[in-house]
Amino acid sequence: MSGATLDRDAARDEARRTAQRQRLRAAWNLSRGWRYFANVNNQVVGLWYIITAFAFFLFAGVLALIMRAQLAVPENDLVSAATYNQLFTLHGTVMMFLFAVPIFEAVAILILPQMLAARDLPFPRLSAFGYWCFLIGGCFVSGSIFFGAAPDGGWFMYPPLTTDTRLSGIGTDIWLLGLSFIEIASIAAAVELIVGVLKCRPPGMRINLMPLYGWYVLIVGGMILFAFPPLIAGDILFELERLANWPFFDAARGGDPVLWQHLFWIFGHPEVYIIFLPSIALLAMIVPTFARRPILGYGWIVLAAVGTGFLSFGLWAHHMFTIGMPAISQGFFSAASEAVAIPTGVQIFVFVATLLAGRAVYGTPMLFATGALAIFVFGGLTGVMVALAPFDWQAHDSYFVVAHLHYTLIGGMFFPLMAGIYYFHPFVCGTMLSPRLGRWAFWLMFAGFNIAFLPMHITGLRGMPRRVFTYPENLGWETLNLVSTAGAFTMAAGVLVLLWDVLRPGKPKAPRNPWNAGTLEWVAGDPTEPWGIRSVPPVSSRYPLWQQEGLLAGIDAGAYYLPDAREGRRETLVSDPLDATPRQVLRVPGDSFRPMVAAVLVGGCFILGTFHFWIAALLSGLAGVGAILAWLWTGTAVIPEKPEKDAGMGLTLPLYASGAASVGWWAMFITMTGDGTAFISLVFGYFYYWTIHPVFPPAHAGGPGLLWPLLAVAAGLAGWGAMLAARAANATGRVAGARAALALAMLFSLAGAAAFLLGPWRTGLDPTHHAYDAIVWVLVIWAAVHNAVGVLMQGYCLAGSFAGKMTPTHDIDLRNVTLYGHFAALTALTTGAVVALFPLAS
Amino acid sequence: MVYGRDDATLWTLLTPPTVWALHFLFAYVAAAMACGETPFALGPVRVAIGVATAFALGLIALAWRQAYRHWGRGADRPPHDAPTDEDRQRFLGFATLLLCGLSAVAVVFSALPAVFLSDCR
Amino acid sequence: MLTGRPVHAAAAGRPGRVAVARRAAAGALALTLAACSGPQSALDPAGDAAEAIAGLFWVLLAGAAVIWALVIGAAVFALRFKTRPISERAGLRLVLWGGAVVPTLILSVLLVYGLRLMPLLRDPAAELRVEVVGEQFWWRVTYRPEGGPAVVSANEVRVPVGARVEFSLDAADVIHSFWIPALGGKVDMIPGRSNRLALRATRTGTFRGVCAEFCGPAHTRMAFPVVVMEPEAFRAWLAEQAREASPAGNETFLANGCGGCHAVRGTPATGTIGPDLTHLASRLSLGADLLPNDAASRARFVAEVDTLKPGARMPGFGMLPPAEAAAIADYLGSLE
Repeated sequence: MSGATLDRDAARDEARRTAQRQRLRAAWNLSRGWRYFANVNNQVVGLWYIITAFAFFLFAGVLALIMRAQLAVPENDLVSAATYNQLFTLHGTVMMFLFAVPIFEAVAILILPQMLAARDLPFPRLSAFGYWCFLIGGCFVSGSIFFGAAPDGGWFMYPPLTTDTRLSGIGTDIWLLGLSFIEIASIAAAVELIVGVLKCRPPGMRINLMPLYGWYVLIVGGMILFAFPPLIAGDILFELERLANWPFFDAARGGDPVLWQHLFWIFGHPEVYIIFLPSIALLAMIVPTFARRPILGYGWIVLAAVGTGFLSFGLWAHHMFTIGMPAISQGFFSAASEAVAIPTGVQIFVFVATLLAGRAVYGTPMLFATGALAIFVFGGLTGVMVALAPFDWQAHDSYFVVAHLHYTLIGGMFFPLMAGIYYFHPFVCGTMLSPRLGRWAFWLMFAGFNIAFLPMHITGLRGMPRRVFTYPENLGWETLNLVSTAGAFTMAAGVLVLLWDVLRPGKPKAPRNPWNAGTLEWVAGDPTEPWGIRSVPPVSSRYPLWQQEGLLAGIDAGAYYLPDAREGRRETLVSDPLDATPRQVLRVPGDSFRPMVAAVLVGGCFILGTFHFWIAALLSGLAGVGAILAWLWTGTAVIPEKPEKDAGMGLTLPLYASGAASVGWWAMFITMTGDGTAFISLVFGYFYYWTIHPVFPPAHAGGPGLLWPLLAVAAGLAGWGAMLAARAANATGRVAGARAALALAMLFSLAGAAAFLLGPWRTGLDPTHHAYDAIVWVLVIWAAVHNAVGVLMQGYCLAGSFAGKMTPTHDIDLRNVTLYGHFAALTALTTGAVVALFPLAS
Repeated sequence: MVYGRDDATLWTLLTPPTVWALHFLFAYVAAAMACGETPFALGPVRVAIGVATAFALGLIALAWRQAYRHWGRGADRPPHDAPTDEDRQRFLGFATLLLCGLSAVAVVFSALPAVFLSDCR
Repeated sequence: MLTGRPVHAAAAGRPGRVAVARRAAAGALALTLAACSGPQSALDPAGDAAEAIAGLFWVLLAGAAVIWALVIGAAVFALRFKTRPISERAGLRLVLWGGAVVPTLILSVLLVYGLRLMPLLRDPAAELRVEVVGEQFWWRVTYRPEGGPAVVSANEVRVPVGARVEFSLDAADVIHSFWIPALGGKVDMIPGRSNRLALRATRTGTFRGVCAEFCGPAHTRMAFPVVVMEPEAFRAWLAEQAREASPAGNETFLANGCGGCHAVRGTPATGTIGPDLTHLASRLSLGADLLPNDAASRARFVAEVDTLKPGARMPGFGMLPPAEAAAIADYLGSLE
C-alpha cells in the first residue's frame, strides 16, 4: 500500500471518528438554560443529589452545634426544652434519612454507571423523579423547624408519646408523611441500582470480575428492599392512628406501642448497614489503588458484604433490650449482634492485608481511610459491648450509646465518604483538591471528632441519659460535656476547611486518572464530555486499566461497542446478570420535566395531606398519577424503528426486549418484592396481636366473615387468570381476544377490590374500636388498593393495544403487568387466608 | 432446586445465609410464642430449637458440599479472576464456601441462648 | 436559668465509708475510678448487678484497647513503615485468622459469658416489692412490704441495703424507663405491660435515678433520689411513711383545689392524679429531684411548675395572693 493511501485511510478514519463524536455529543448533550432542570442523565442528577444531601448534612450539623452549645455548661438556657427536642429529633432524622442514605444513592448514581462503562442507569427519569421527591420531602421536613413545628419525639418516634395528638403536634405528621415520601424515592433508587448492577455491565464483566463497589451496591439495594417497606407499613399504621384514631399502638384498645418499635427497628438496624456498606465500598475501591495492587481477598469481601447484609436483619431487637423481653429472646438478638462482627472484621482485615501485601503510597484519601478505620474499629468494639444484653441494660439510652453510634456512623460512613470525596473529586469536577488543606481538614475533623465523642462514653456510664436538654451540676458531667462541645466545634472547623477547598476557585486541573487506578470510572477524561465513555470496552479482568494493555486508547478511538449514536438516540448496553453477555441495546429516555412535575404533584398530595387539606391533596394525588401515566406513556416501551442495530465490534443486538430479558421486568419484580415485604410487615402486625392477646380475634368481633373475603379472593384470582389469558392471546397474535381478556380482568379486579372492602363493612368491624378491627381493615384495604392499581395497569395495557403501543411482538407492558398480577394475586390470597380463614383455625 | 445444580448462581450463593435467616426466625418465633403462654413451658421449645439447629447445620453442610464441588474441590486457589466460565463458577463456589462457614457459626450462635437460658424472665 | 440545686448533689460528694476505704487501697487505679464516680454512675456501683456489669465493662474495655491497637497498628505499619510487601499467601492467612477465626473465638466466649450472666441479673427471688409507675413527669411509688400495709409515696425510692428488691414497673401515659445506674441496668415502663426489675444494693448511700426514655417536654426533669439504708433504719422509715398526716393548716391547700389531684392521707385531700404528698417534707428533693426541699423551693414550685416542668399537668399557681401561697408552702413544709 502506498503512503498516500495510508494517509487517506487515516484521514477518513479520523473524519469518521469526528462524526461519531459529534453524534454522541448531540445525543447526550446536557440541557442548558431554563431546561437545565429537565436533565435526567446520571452525571447531572447524581451531582444534584450529592450537593443536596451534603447541604442537608451541613444543616443537621448546625443543629448539632446548637445542641452542643446548649450542653456546654450545666443548666444552660441557650435554647428551651421544646426547641432542644426539635433539634435532636431533626438532627437524627436529617442525618439518617436526608444525608446518610441519600448520599449512598447519590454517589452510586454518579459513579456506578462509569464503573460499569454504562452511559447511564437503565431508568434515568426514575432517578430524576427520586431526586425531586428527595428534594421536596427533605425541604418540607427540614423547613419545619423554622416555624417551630418540627417533629420533637426523637428520630425513632416512639408511641404513644407521638401517636397522642394532645402530646405531639403537626411535627409528627410532617415527619411521617415527609419521610414516607422520601422512602419511595429511596426504593426507586434501589430498584434502579440493582437493575444497573445486574443488567448494565459491559460485555465480559462476569460476576467474578465486577468492581467490588458493584457487589456492595447490589447487596445494599437488596437490603433497602427488605428494610424500608416495614417502616412504610409502620408509617401507614402510625398515620392512621393519628388521623383516624385506629388504635394500632394504643394498649387500652388492644394495640401495643412495642409493635412500632419492632417495625421501626426491623428497618432501623439494617439501615445502619445500608449506610455503612456503601461507604466501605468506597474504601474497597480506594485501598487497592493506593496499595498499588488488586484487592487481596475479593471472595472474602463478597462473603463480608453478603453476610453482613443477611445478619443485619437479625439484630433489630438489640435496640429493645430494655423493653422487658424474655431473656432467651434477647439472647437470639445478642447472638446475631455478635455474629455480625465477624464479617465486619473480615472486611477490615482484607483492607489491612491488601495494604500489607501492596506497595502502599500515601494521599489524602488514604489519610481519611486510615482515620475511618481507627474510628470505626473502636465503634465496632463498643458495638460488641452493647450487643451483650447485660451491658446494654446500663448503656442503653445513655450517652454511651450516643458515642457508640457516632463512632460507627462517622467512622463507618462519614470518614470513608470524605476519603471518597478527595478520591473522586478529580473524576467529578476535573480538578485536584489541595493535599495541604486536606491534611488540615483531616486533623481538625479527626481530632475534633475524638475530643467530642470519646468522653461521651464516660459521660454515659456516669449516668447521663440521651435527649436531655440540660443537666444538673455536681453529677460529674460538667468537664466531660465542655470538652465534647469544644471537640464538636473543632470538627466543624474541619468541615469548613473541606468546604472552602471544594468551593475555592483556581484549583489545579487534574490529569486523567490522577491516582493511577485500575477500574473503568477513571477512563473518564474530560468531565465536559457528556457521553460518559467514548466506547464500551470488552472487559476481561478486575482492574481493566491495569490488566488490559491498550484499553484506554481503544476506548478513546471508539474501537469498541456503541462508539456512535447513528440515530441520535441515547443508548447503553444491557447484558445478562451472571456473565454479562450483551443482550440488547437499550434506548434510555432523554431529558424531560415530566419526572419533576410528577414529583411535585405527588409531593403536593403528601404535603397538603399533612395539613388536612383533603380535597386539594386528593386532586394533587390524582394529577400526580396522571403525570406518571403521561410520563410512562410517552417515554417507556417505545417501539423502535427497526428490530436490531449494529452495536459495534461486529455485534448486532436487538433494540427491544420483553419479559425477563427486559430491564423493565426486573424493575417490576424488584419493586414488587419490596411491596410484598411491606405487606408481610402488615401481616406480621396481625400475628403479633395474635401472640399478645390470649383470645384473638377478640370476643367482641365476628371478623369479616367468610363470604365476602372468599368472593374477593375468587374475583382476584379470576382477574389474574384473565391476565394470563390476555398475555397468551396477545403473544399468539389474537389481539381481539387479548383485549377482551384484559377488559374481563379489569372487571374481575374491580369486583375483587369491592368485595374485600365489603367483608368488614358488612360485619360492622369498627376500626377505632380495637386493634383487631383496625388491622383487618388495613389488610383488606391493602389488598383492595392492589386490585385497583391492577385495574389501572390493565386499562393502560388495553389503551396501549388500541393505540398501537402494544403489539404481539412488543408486549413489555403486558408482561410487566402480568408480573404485577402474580404478586397482587398472592396478596389477595394471603389476605383472604389471614382475615377469613385464620380465625377459624385459632 | 438450589441443591444439586451443576452451575453456581446467585441463588446458590444466597442459600447458606437464607438457612441462617430461617433458623433465626424459627427460634425467635418459637420462643416468643412459648413465653407468651402462661405458665410458659420453654423445655419443648429448647428441644425444638436443638432439632432445628441440627437440621439447619445439615442444610448448610449440603450447601457446603455443593459449593466445594463448584469450587473445583480446591483444584485452584483464589483469586479466580479469569474471564472464563470455570473461574466464575469457582469464584461463586468459593464465596459460597465462606458463607457456609459464617452461616454455620451464626446458626450455632443463635442456638446458644437455648442452651444457657431455661426460662422466660 | 435554674438556681435550685437538688439535695442529692450535696450527698453525692460523700460516698460510703466502705467505698472510700476500698478506693484508697486501689492506689493508682483510684484516679481512674474517681473520674468515674458520682451518685448516678454505673462505674461507681452500689449494687450487685451494677458491680457485675462494671466489671464486665473494664474487661471488655481492656480487650477492646488491645484489639484496637493491633488492628490500627497493622494498618499504620503497612502505610508508613513497611519496607517489603508480604506475600499473597500470608495476606490471605491474615484475613482468615485475624478477620474470621480469632474474632469468632473471642465472640463465642463473650456471648456465652453474657448469656450466663443474664439469669443471675434477673433473679426474681425478692424480699421487698416496690411498684413504680412512670407518669409525665414524675414517679408514683408504692411499697408493698410483706405482711404490712402498702405505703404510697412519690419521686423518691428507698431500699434496705443487702435485700433483693423487686420493682414492678408500669407506665400511666407514655413510655418511660426506670434507671438507677449505681444499682443496675434499666427497664422500660411501657403502657399496657408490666415489667419487672430486681436490684440488690450493696452499700448505703444516696444515689440518683432517672427516666432514660424520652417522654416529652420535661423528660430532663424526671429523676429521683435513691436512698440505700440500713435495714433497721429502712423499717423505721417505712413505718413513719405509713402514718397518716395531720390536717392542721390545710384550709388554703384544700380551698384552692389541691386535694383534687393530690392525696394527703388522713385529710380530705384524696386526689390520685398527682403525687401523694402525705410526707412531702420528709423527702430529699422536690419535683422529681428538680429542686432542694426547702421552704423557698416549695413556694416556687407551686407558683412556677408550668415553667419548671413544661408539659406537666399541674398548672402554675403564680396568680395566688402572697398570703395564700405562703400558707400552702407552710402547710407542705409541715408534712414531715
